[in-house]
Formats: sequence, structure tokens, C-alpha cells
Amino acid sequence: MNASLKTPSVTEEAQKQTMKHTCEHHAECMKVIQAILDDEATEAEKDHFRENMDKCIPCIEAYRLEKCIKDSLSSKVQKKPCPQNILNTIISKING
Amino acid sequence: MLVAMSETLTNNGYTDDLRYEVFNREFMPHIDSMYNFAFRLTMDEDDANDLVQDTYLKAFRFISSFEQGTNAKAWLFRILKNSFINDYRKKSKEPSKVDYQEVETTYNSEEASDTTYTVDLRADAVQELIGDEVANALNALPVDFRTVIILCDIEGFTYEEMAKILDIPIGTVRSRLHRARNLLKEKLKSYASSMGYDS
Repeated sequence: MNASLKTPSVTEEAQKQTMKHTCEHHAECMKVIQAILDDEATEAEKDHFRENMDKCIPCIEAYRLEKCIKDSLSSKVQKKPCPQNILNTIISKING
Repeated sequence: MLVAMSETLTNNGYTDDLRYEVFNREFMPHIDSMYNFAFRLTMDEDDANDLVQDTYLKAFRFISSFEQGTNAKAWLFRILKNSFINDYRKKSKEPSKVDYQEVETTYNSEEASDTTYTVDLRADAVQELIGDEVANALNALPVDFRTVIILCDIEGFTYEEMAKILDIPIGTVRSRLHRARNLLKEKLKSYASSMGYDS
């Protein structure tokens, strides 16, 4: 009887542990996620990331969003070449 | 004009020839990045032109304080940032008083940093945005926040390099970057909403 009662609750607990729908320390996790994406995470942050990231839905989504924004900034924002006349002015002033 | 030109040997073992060589080899390759940084700081083409010119002329004049083998790009960005603060920020068209207020409010409000991360923005919505929309969202940030995002996400500087460029501790780099990203998400969210990408 005890066993039959226990079994589903253990399973339920296991399922809860596999995927979390809320994150109790999301503010902290956001800092970790950004440090990971910036390649600036400490060993402790890397450990936290490895242990939590694959089972927390809000963190997985946040990671995708942060990565997407970072990638958009580096790849989509247009970079203009420096106008040739500025280059010429600099060179002529330096050689003058 | 260029006093040091007549000297055959300057500090740090820089001969005249070496000055030109280092300038061309180490500094010139970064001119496009410098121009874009100047433009995003000043938000004005003429000011950006002047700022880049001033920075490169200063870099040449003070080249003896550049240690060869260290990061030339970070060194140049630091000069440009300082010139911007000293010479351009005052006359900038951007109302800096409002900036400071906004920065202060955001720094001082823990509540702000705790609530903004819940900005309801999906990665898919960001993917739909074009470069100009991302750039406009970035340009809408107060200059101090805009700067850390440019340095980190567009120019790829490390936190340590950013700390040197901005003369602030690494911890401040981290927290400013974190807040900057929260603000950017809010701006991106309003773009995504206005374009209907988030529905």
C-alpha cells in the first residue's frame, strides 16, 4: 500500500526534476547566461549552467533569446566603412 | 606642428620610422571599427568624422605611450571614448542631463533590474527584426548603456578590455552590461510589437 502510494509520487517528482516551468533564481540565471554567452563565466557559473540549463524551461528560452540578440547585434547591425576623405586627411596630417 | 618629428629617438624606443610603421600596422586596420564606434556614440556624421580624426592624430602624437604587443584596438577605443567625453559629449545633440537621470534611476532601482528581465520577448520575434530595427533599438539607449553593448556584442571586447577602455571595475562592466541588455530588450520588444512580430 505504501509502495503503491509512493511510486507515483516518486515518478511525479522525477518528472518535475526533468523539466522546470518556473525558475526560482531566474535573475541570477540571467547573469550566468550572459556570462556564458560572453565567454566570461567563472567555473562556478559554468557548473551552475551545466546543472540547471537543460531542465529549466524559462532559462532555456532566456538563453535562446539572449543568444539571438547577441547574434543580431554582431551580424545584422550595419557597419559602415570609414569615409575615404577622413583616411586621406589623417594620412596627410601625419605626413605633413 | 609635429614636434616629435625632428627627434630621431623618442620614449619607448620609438624611432620616427617605427612610429609610422606601428601606426600603419597596428592602428590603421581598426579605422572602420573606430568610425562606427564614433558614429554610434555621437549619432552624427560630422562629429564622428572629427572624433575619428582627432583620435588618430592623438594616437600618433602619443604613440610612445603605446606598448607594442598590447591590444592596439583597445588602446585606440580608450582614446576615442575619452575624447568623446571630454570634447563631444558637452556639445552633443543628445540631452546628456536626461541621460544621466535615466542612468541613475536605472542604477538605483533594484526593482527595475528585477522586473525588466521578464520582458515578454521571444527569440523568434528578434529573428524577424532587420538590422536597422536592431540598430535603432540600440541607438535609443542612453549612451553609457549603448557603449557597453557596442564594445561587447558588436566589437567583441572582453570584460577586462572593456574595464580598461571605460576606466571602471570589471564588476561594473558586468552589471552595466546586464542592465543595458534589459533596456535593449524593452526597446526590441516595442519594435517587435509595432511590427506585429510578436503575435
